[in-house]
Amino acid sequence: MTSATTASTSLTTQAASRRTNYWRKQGLAYLFLLPALVIFTLVTWYPIVNTILFSFQKVNAGGFQGWVGLANYTRMFGNPVFYVAWKNTLMYVVLSLVMGAMVPIVLALMINEMRGLTTFFQIIVYLPTLIPIAVGLLVWRQIYAPEGGILNELLLRLDLPPQLWLQNADLAKPALIVIMTWVGAGGSTLLYLYALREIPTELFEAAELDGFSVLDRILYIALPLLRHRIEIMLVLQIIIVAQVFTEPFILTNGGPANSTTSPVLEIYNAAFTRTDFGLASAWGVSMLVTLSVFSVLYIVFTRRDLIQE
Amino acid sequence: MGTANRGIMSNTEWRSLRGRLIGLFYLLVLALVAILMIFPFIFSFTAGLYNSIEVVKPGLHLWPENPLWENYTDAWNRFKLGRLFLNTAIAAGGGVVGQLLVSALAAYSLSRLRPMGKNLIRAILLITLAVPGIVYLVPRYVVMARLDLIDNFVGLWLPYCASSFMILVLNNAFDQIPRDLYEAAEIDGASEVRMFMNITLPLSSSVLLVLGLFAFIGFWGDFLWPFLILRDSDLQTLSVRLYTLRRGFPLNIYMAASFMAMIPPAIAAFFLQRHAPKGGLTF
Repeated sequence: MTSATTASTSLTTQAASRRTNYWRKQGLAYLFLLPALVIFTLVTWYPIVNTILFSFQKVNAGGFQGWVGLANYTRMFGNPVFYVAWKNTLMYVVLSLVMGAMVPIVLALMINEMRGLTTFFQIIVYLPTLIPIAVGLLVWRQIYAPEGGILNELLLRLDLPPQLWLQNADLAKPALIVIMTWVGAGGSTLLYLYALREIPTELFEAAELDGFSVLDRILYIALPLLRHRIEIMLVLQIIIVAQVFTEPFILTNGGPANSTTSPVLEIYNAAFTRTDFGLASAWGVSMLVTLSVFSVLYIVFTRRDLIQE
Repeated sequence: MGTANRGIMSNTEWRSLRGRLIGLFYLLVLALVAILMIFPFIFSFTAGLYNSIEVVKPGLHLWPENPLWENYTDAWNRFKLGRLFLNTAIAAGGGVVGQLLVSALAAYSLSRLRPMGKNLIRAILLITLAVPGIVYLVPRYVVMARLDLIDNFVGLWLPYCASSFMILVLNNAFDQIPRDLYEAAEIDGASEVRMFMNITLPLSSSVLLVLGLFAFIGFWGDFLWPFLILRDSDLQTLSVRLYTLRRGFPLNIYMAASFMAMIPPAIAAFFLQRHAPKGGLTF
């Protein structure tokens, strides 16, 4: 009897101590998480919620000025620049896919074959990504300069007419896409290289013995096995290009005639030149809605990759 | 394993006539690409050596007759580059340390300490990763303004510390550390903080280094956020200051300053190359 009571009390104290121990562990676990939770709340989660709230409010440098219903959205949809900016975005994305998407794949296939020079070229293609973009763009401004610019000097040497690269509405977008490809191709090339190296070399060996040409091996072995990586990179490229800002901001300020403006540039102008935070947030929501499709696709693609590995 | 040293072509094929021709073609293309990739470095370097008239003279010139090396010291002094390098180092360095610390602590908790709602937190981080930062830039700026963190490096660092990508990558890396190590340490009576410091961090040093270098390169060249937060010219970073001063200086001096601004991230890349992960970073 007595021994049973002591046993049960010791059991309850044991359970109690296990429970305090559990809560102490939970406290510790959350202590480790605390800095991240506080900072994410402050700079990410609270601002995300606020983007949606601001879009229904009048907000300026002085703070909240009242609820305005859909007025910000009416103004956004009523402004022709909205459609121009999104049409530009579509053009940027299409041009970047046409002009740029193949570049890192081709570079990776070539660099992968370079034996002793692989490391060298790997560093070289990654260099543009390293340059502070604002500094790199000022060099590009000299390259595209109408008079005395390097590109036009080259054209003159070849007896071709010089062009107003950044001042001509038809040329400005492709000119910016060339810069974006120059900046972004290196990082993608490295990722494709990693993916190429994961392909078992036995596959290429067997194909070579069976008489497959180099091109066949690229088309029927390398590219199909890179397919998942390519899908991920294309979605990522769409997400990144749709957020284009620095290139038009520094080189063209959206011109000529709004032909290079982008939603982010419009967000910047609404918020920081007109301190119209409400309108800027409505633009932000339009980006959130448009890009969420691709973001979800990106996560699904990366997870799928992980699950299969 | 013995067949590892080959690309899509085998070494024998690589040495055949056909292989040599393909190799030569690849090499030509890559050499051309390499020139395009290095071009802005070379251009800003040589443009910085001309005098202010020659540099804007039309025509293609590769090297000045009398290189003016003093342009570089001139640019250093007139741009107050020492101050700018210090500011940028503070901005990028603080960002890297903060991001690594905050992310490593969070990832350790998620990986080892089984906090309640662990999967929910991970899901929220993944969703956060999917929301483009630009969407909530304006409200984030308003938060910083309200906290009076404009013209304050803390206002710059706080967003740098919030990287869901880094938490998820580190969480994955920490999960790979063998449990026996922790069990042995637990028997020896080590606290969680001790295990974090003595087991987790040292065993993940290469991942931490690579993530840190990537973050450093990104923060060093970051433009929009420092442009918004640092209005005071004494606090501005290289990219912000060089952009603000783009019209105030002769081109040759300007290009000399630009070239010097490109050097630190290039050094970081050199280290990155030596420690580059073989399979990329996953989460």
